[in-house]
Amino acid sequence: MIMLGAAAATYALRVLLITVVPARRLPPALRRGLGHLAPAALAALVATALVGHRGLGALVTLSPAHVGLAAAALVALRFRNPALPVLAAVAVVLTWEVLT
Amino acid sequence: MDITLRHTPAVEVRVALRDLASVAVGLAPFAVLIGVTAVRTGAGAGAGVLSSATVFGGSAQLTALAMISDGASPLAVIAAVTLVNARFLLYAAALEPGFRGQPSWFRWLAPHFVVDPSYAMVTRRPDLLEDPSRFRRYWLTAGLGLAVTWVALTAAGALLAPVLPASSALDVAAPAMFLAVLVPQLRARPARAGAAVAAVVAATASPLPDGLGLLGGIAAGVAAATLSDRSAS
Repeated sequence: MIMLGAAAATYALRVLLITVVPARRLPPALRRGLGHLAPAALAALVATALVGHRGLGALVTLSPAHVGLAAAALVALRFRNPALPVLAAVAVVLTWEVLT
Repeated sequence: MDITLRHTPAVEVRVALRDLASVAVGLAPFAVLIGVTAVRTGAGAGAGVLSSATVFGGSAQLTALAMISDGASPLAVIAAVTLVNARFLLYAAALEPGFRGQPSWFRWLAPHFVVDPSYAMVTRRPDLLEDPSRFRRYWLTAGLGLAVTWVALTAAGALLAPVLPASSALDVAAPAMFLAVLVPQLRARPARAGAAVAAVVAATASPLPDGLGLLGGIAAGVAAATLSDRSAS
């Protein structure tokens, strides 16, 4: 029942600005901002994954995830295929864990 | 050349499947992690699989599973999931042009597939937003494929939970996939400004509960990118 409630709330978020009140009715300033959403959202997701709930201080200690994501960034700079950075990150983390 | 091919329905389906294949590689460990978490926290494999089919948003699912296993009240779980998934409101607003001129069933049902990877996939193909039928074919193929893959891999994670060793390799796959989509977008100055501000604010505010740090980072990044765009023009 809890999951169904959570699902209903999530569905409402998804459908609100598409079907109920289409986003084209939003003020122009807000609509301009939406064009810049993708890089901001992706960067925030990556940063949150890097630090967890520990704030910027979590970056002081080097962890396998930090090295793995650095490898992923380097691979993403070189190749357009989104699978390659993932494979690089997972390979680096697994190697780190095996060696330590 | 391939002008004829470009406008046949099969093309969008094929393109969506190709995009989905590379995204699925990145998402697979995350979906498996949800299945594993559902079993190991005691919430149960059923709750994990049900959350994948209905909530369909990894970080909110992990939040809900952890809270349920801690005995949180239903209202607290729903409120936390709503906050963690609040970014879908923004994704939906950005994707809305693709839903204009679509049949009613599509406008009510297809938003269920609004999630980080589907949004990221469409941002790589902005031309789709200009043609309702091409967008519909692409979105349904990618969204349904993503949902089926997500649920199947969650179930696999639940089945494998007793034998899988603890490893942070599962945790790193999803952010690596987001990096893979982000890096090519950083050529423009507003995108770089927005990404930098979003990352710093999200990391700094990460101790805040219920994904508020993530949401704050996104909002700050969008504001920074908009200001940077305005100063450049």
